[in-house]
Amino acid sequence: MKTENRALDDIHVLDIAGPIGVYTTKLMADLGADVIRIEQPGGDPMRSIGPFIEDRTQPENSLFFIHYNTGKKSITLNIETEDGSKIFKKLVENVDVIVESFSPGFMERIGLGYAVLRKINPRLILTSVTAFGQTGPYKEFKANDLIGQAMGGILHSLGPVEGPPTALGGNQAYHMASAYAAIGTLIALANRDVTSKGRWVDISMQAAMIRMTERITLDYWLYNQNRKRIGGLEFYRGIRVSFPCRDGEVFCSALGGAGAEAMLQWMESEGMAGDLRDEKYANILKAMQGIPLAKGSQQKTTGSFASSLMSMLNYPEELLIHIEDVWQAFLMTHTKEELFIGAQQRGVRLLPINDVRGVCEDKVLNDRAFFTDIAYPELGMVSRDTGAPYRLSETPWQVIRRAPFIGEHNHEIYQKELGLSDNDIKRLTDAHVI
Amino acid sequence: MVANKTRLLLKGIRVVDFSWVQAGPWVGRFFANYGAEVIRIESTLRMDWARNVPGDPEVLNGKHHKGALFTNVNCDKLGITLNLKHPKAIEIARKLIAISDVVIDNFTADVMENLGLGYADLIKIKPDIIALSMPVFGKKGPYRNFGGYGNAIWGMAGLDSLSGNPGQPLTTSIALADFGPNPTHATIALLAALHYRHRTGKGQFIELAQLESTACWLGPSVLDYTVNRRIATGHGNSSLYAAPHGVYRCMGDDRWCAIAVQTEQEWVSFCKAIGKQELIDDFRFSSLAKRKGNEDQLDWIIEAWAIERTPEEVMTRLQDAGVAAGVVETGEDLLLHDQQAKHREYFVTLDHPDGKAFCENTTIAFSKTPARVRRPGPVMGQDNEYVYKEILGITEEEINQCYVDGVFD
Repeated sequence: MKTENRALDDIHVLDIAGPIGVYTTKLMADLGADVIRIEQPGGDPMRSIGPFIEDRTQPENSLFFIHYNTGKKSITLNIETEDGSKIFKKLVENVDVIVESFSPGFMERIGLGYAVLRKINPRLILTSVTAFGQTGPYKEFKANDLIGQAMGGILHSLGPVEGPPTALGGNQAYHMASAYAAIGTLIALANRDVTSKGRWVDISMQAAMIRMTERITLDYWLYNQNRKRIGGLEFYRGIRVSFPCRDGEVFCSALGGAGAEAMLQWMESEGMAGDLRDEKYANILKAMQGIPLAKGSQQKTTGSFASSLMSMLNYPEELLIHIEDVWQAFLMTHTKEELFIGAQQRGVRLLPINDVRGVCEDKVLNDRAFFTDIAYPELGMVSRDTGAPYRLSETPWQVIRRAPFIGEHNHEIYQKELGLSDNDIKRLTDAHVI
Repeated sequence: MVANKTRLLLKGIRVVDFSWVQAGPWVGRFFANYGAEVIRIESTLRMDWARNVPGDPEVLNGKHHKGALFTNVNCDKLGITLNLKHPKAIEIARKLIAISDVVIDNFTADVMENLGLGYADLIKIKPDIIALSMPVFGKKGPYRNFGGYGNAIWGMAGLDSLSGNPGQPLTTSIALADFGPNPTHATIALLAALHYRHRTGKGQFIELAQLESTACWLGPSVLDYTVNRRIATGHGNSSLYAAPHGVYRCMGDDRWCAIAVQTEQEWVSFCKAIGKQELIDDFRFSSLAKRKGNEDQLDWIIEAWAIERTPEEVMTRLQDAGVAAGVVETGEDLLLHDQQAKHREYFVTLDHPDGKAFCENTTIAFSKTPARVRRPGPVMGQDNEYVYKEILGITEEEINQCYVDGVFD
């Protein structure tokens, strides 16, 4: 694959992380780092996580593994064996970063703790990603993504009002932990550029998840009140923001809030504005748009958009419900795309709500060539996946190689780079070290 | 973990932060927390919406209230006021950029260019500048002037469809895109660019289109569609790979515990821990496949056990047995009861002109250089004197004239 300038292409990484940290090194690989994924002989346990290509559950077919391991090489190695540990230490001499997610103390117990590794390589950055961090009363707690969402404080606020709290799907706590691990690693790298010193980076998934909670802890500290679940209502104004339309759903409060006048004109031009021009709705519409009312009216305003909308909620509920009904009827006559383009051109920030198919077919994303195709001829497929989260002008994001097969780079790393002989390889393979 | 005079990791880096509200400012916060000098540019004529959240009076019960959201988001940053409509303000901004490393904005597409502060302008001032923009749909193309808020972006990027029960996606009321994918990806890109510049002397422009960055957190579900033509849906709190796996109501008002039994060995330990050894040999539950097939019955049994215990008791008992379990924590739990939060000092209160300010502490721990938030977010123009006089060397007279002319509004 074509290679261009790459931001991290002088960086060598060993990846021995599980699902909580595997995204970290994908982020680095796609920015140019040379990443070696170390798999247990026989294949990484992550390869038994689906979905699978055509539901065929062989280890090379795991789309979970494939998604998170593009751009990386693979070697097999059992670091818990004596020979494996020796080989690992040899590799450590020449890497910049190791990312791991074993429970705190495990690496020390097998003789590969930070104190040992930094003697081998004082410039090493060791990034350890765990659910709660390397220290503290919960450090040995078992966890997964669900527990991360629970103890990070976000889960309680999600889901139907009556419960149960319902988690975010798609391993978002793992994404947070991995993203923070990438940040910590690169902060350590920025410092190493100046000081030439390595660092041990200690990532807690729980700490990262607290960052997703926005005001949950702040509000408790200010008001001694816990945030309540409000279902799908928008938190700041307590109003509906998602509505069905002809071919799906859109995200936008009734009439588009500040853009209500422009939206009403559109609706009128199609005979869908109902009776909303009646006098009884005039003050609500003004409040929606943040227009100060005449002196003596009920509205309290600080001039800020949010407070005008809050004052709108002082009006009789049936009026607001009727406005939403008229809005809903209009939406049902248009597709997501028509509403998106039409509203945005009128200055209203309406967005379509997409499922995965909607995302893959989304006009904006396809016009921007966001998706990336990677061929897997051995598996008989071309995978179309998400592309660059960012576009760097000098050092573009790029998937430089497909996700590896098990031990695909054993020969390159062990024989070409470490100089092991054919006999060494045979012996180590027979002993299940590699 | 107490920060002391130890050198902070990003000391020496200077960031000019034009961004506002949430997604942008969290990026600068990463840099500020670890020692970079981050200068937030604001104007009284165009207030950051977060300065009115909450919209309470300034002080209540000795606590800083009005704009406490802003204060938390912008910890450790310096704050200056600059009225960017005034040509003198643009001149001053350019002087600042000339001695800085990074410029951040999260405006829609043409705003910085119209101010004369687009990337093409910036490289004339400082050729190796690293500039980050965070428009929702990218800076080029027919959608570049379209906009969106964090929770809507999450929905447009398909993330809501992964959550909730099958056929009933969850519309989240928290602007997750603003706290998850967007500020983290932006920070990663900036740090990578800084490393590249260290090696080569070259800066660059980074565009983070928020919709695209957010869509990256769809994970393998995109491959599941493009390869298998399967459209992912939420699956509540259950998992394909573990059972029991869910959220169970406990004793108390709206209190819950999450439980995840991930291996056959843990299943045995779990049954013993809840005093139901008979379940180990119960043919309905003797393998993962069986437990999945009879999940309703299994959950019913667990619910009956959990409802009689506090979530703390459930968590402790199961963790002692080597099973993943966690209290579904509220703000109160995190602030008052969570022992790990206390040990790692996730939350601090700092002195603020309006009393005590609440701040989320740094999240990443580093060997030998622990970091702790040092300062709450600035009040408007708090650092005008320091930045204009000490950093830029503008004379007292010129500064006064600027105030008179509205340059610092």
